[in-house]
Amino acid sequence: MILRPRREDHLVIGKYTGKVIVGVGLLMVVPLLTSVLFAEWDTVVDFVISMSACFIFGFGAQYLCRTDKDLAWSHGLVVASGSWIWATILGALPHWLSSHEGSYLDAMFDVMSGYTTTGLYLLQDLDHISNGLNMWRHLLTYAGGQGIVVIALTFLFKGTSGAYKVYVGEGKDERLLPNVVNTARAIWLVSLAYLAVGTLALFGVALWLGQEPVRAFLHAAWVFMGAWSTGGFAPQSFNTMWYHSFAYEIVTIVIMIAGSFNFALHWAVWTGRRSEIVRNLETVSFAITLTLTTMLATFWLARAGVYPDAMALGRKVFYQLASGHTTTGFSTIFSKAFVTQWGTIGLLAVTLAMGIGASACSTAGGIKGIRVGVIFKSLIGDVRKAIAPESAVVRQHYHHIRTQWLDDGLVKTALTITVLYLVMYLVSGLLGVLYGYEFTAALFEGVSAGSNTGLSCGVTDPSMPAVMKLSYIVFMWLGRLEFMSVFALLGYGISIVRGR
Amino acid sequence: MSPRRTFGAVAVLALCCALVVPAVAFGLEAPTSGELVNEPKRFDGVRIEFEGEAIGEVMHRGADAWLHLNDDAYMLKNVEEGAPLGGFNSGMPVWVPGELADRIEVFGDYKHQGDVVRIEGVFNAACAEHGGDMDIHADSLEVLAQGRDALDPIRPWKGVTAVVLAVMAGVLWYADRRTRLRELRGLLRR
Repeated sequence: MILRPRREDHLVIGKYTGKVIVGVGLLMVVPLLTSVLFAEWDTVVDFVISMSACFIFGFGAQYLCRTDKDLAWSHGLVVASGSWIWATILGALPHWLSSHEGSYLDAMFDVMSGYTTTGLYLLQDLDHISNGLNMWRHLLTYAGGQGIVVIALTFLFKGTSGAYKVYVGEGKDERLLPNVVNTARAIWLVSLAYLAVGTLALFGVALWLGQEPVRAFLHAAWVFMGAWSTGGFAPQSFNTMWYHSFAYEIVTIVIMIAGSFNFALHWAVWTGRRSEIVRNLETVSFAITLTLTTMLATFWLARAGVYPDAMALGRKVFYQLASGHTTTGFSTIFSKAFVTQWGTIGLLAVTLAMGIGASACSTAGGIKGIRVGVIFKSLIGDVRKAIAPESAVVRQHYHHIRTQWLDDGLVKTALTITVLYLVMYLVSGLLGVLYGYEFTAALFEGVSAGSNTGLSCGVTDPSMPAVMKLSYIVFMWLGRLEFMSVFALLGYGISIVRGR
Repeated sequence: MSPRRTFGAVAVLALCCALVVPAVAFGLEAPTSGELVNEPKRFDGVRIEFEGEAIGEVMHRGADAWLHLNDDAYMLKNVEEGAPLGGFNSGMPVWVPGELADRIEVFGDYKHQGDVVRIEGVFNAACAEHGGDMDIHADSLEVLAQGRDALDPIRPWKGVTAVVLAVMAGVLWYADRRTRLRELRGLLRR
């Protein structure tokens, strides 16, 4: 029997959703100040309108939904997934008001892409947008990488018992510290420390490359945000090809790989356990699959003779593959070049890397290295069981922060989520075919959206059918929240209609 | 038609002629960036002519420099000035001697419509000198149209909306805070 949610349930969900949306409004202070600094007055007005809309929603929801009740698990999941929808609708206002979007759906596409650290976009004439709007695009992806709920947890939630339930609802379940608000703050501490170091490194390289100081600093901060959050937004339409620099590529690769690592792994390294990097199942799995997909693409492109020498070949292949596997989406080739130069096998190698993705509880998307590792370990265990004597007890273990036994429940969960990802990838590919795109290109783009990567081979375009835009929004959302929160929201909707 | 509009139309027509006529007269191929990306093999190593708006900045590297030229729907007028949306930006990176690059005075960004320039050079589908980048190595550059400031005035309806919404948000914030304080005082009294 489905229980219909009571008034108190609606109130608690409304109250906490309101808090998250106030957080989104406060986030707009940064692009607003950026626009003031550069005297971009029309953009200033856009952000005043957008912030006010967020505050009206947020304070209004908190005023109307007054309750002392704390969050239950189901509430946490619904608040997390529901907040993302409202944050997308309201966060799209600055994009839409800028006149650079073909429709409000396009603006929402870009914002969902930012929050989910995907990096696909439909904004037109990117090379002429204001610094304020560019700041908002990159801040969206930086904040989205930590999780917009984490932001609210850090600054706006006072209690902790209910907070953990919202935190888990956003696809993060690692507690770096016993208290979840302190965990959220630790995530911010790690991210802000990297922001300072990474921006400084990119700023230094950019000055050396010939950018003037103000542009060099802005580009450094934005490219850092795009790399660390594995978002892939860049300030110019040429993406990271703009810089034509091996040094810039190296720094961005280091940042995007660091960003794709589990926050728990970062915390372990920060607290002195450096060996965790080479022992952790996620990093081992990531290293193996990145090597295999890079080898596949290198072999194919060398055979096709696309690049003039081994250096150029290695540089191009490793950058696109590292970008794809960390689900960042930075690119040093034109989107269409994936089709016109890389060909079918090149496309499939990148598709595979994007589909697997990087670490759980990080800013990255995709199936995740730990699930691939767990499934592979389980397979090895089954083979060992099959060849061992009947009386033998065969148990597998794996290392993730600590050494743990591999039990059936864990394998089942890993398989369930993996199957859900694979089904989503397949559906996205078939949808593209239905609209007349080639299967490999449609699969590439669908996997890119579902795994929150953002590499494009040219399918994502303002002229793309609205149904595909809407589907990609849903795929990005599903992929980022890893299904369960979204299913909980659907269940909540069904229980309102059909519950007793 | 007002004299200002007539002047504008004549200027755009003259610029279009300037972009098209030389390529026809001297027989150099003048592909668009879209054609270059879609058919890299066909143009690889071919001397071409390319026109576009200089965007962003020039990045000097020793005696040479990097430029980026956009030949998209916004090369003559950008969205802020009221140009209709015409898809993504599209352009080509150009490697050019530094002294030629310095002829460009205005680069396109939010506040500027960049100089429109014509370059001649060799297209590389995967440049051996630049780590496999797709680019054009140019040895001539001509400024066809000077760049200018691009204005983006505040629309009145936006200003009014901003004031109304900001007042509404302030009232709700005050109401929420007052109710919360009242509840807190009630709790303390108990």
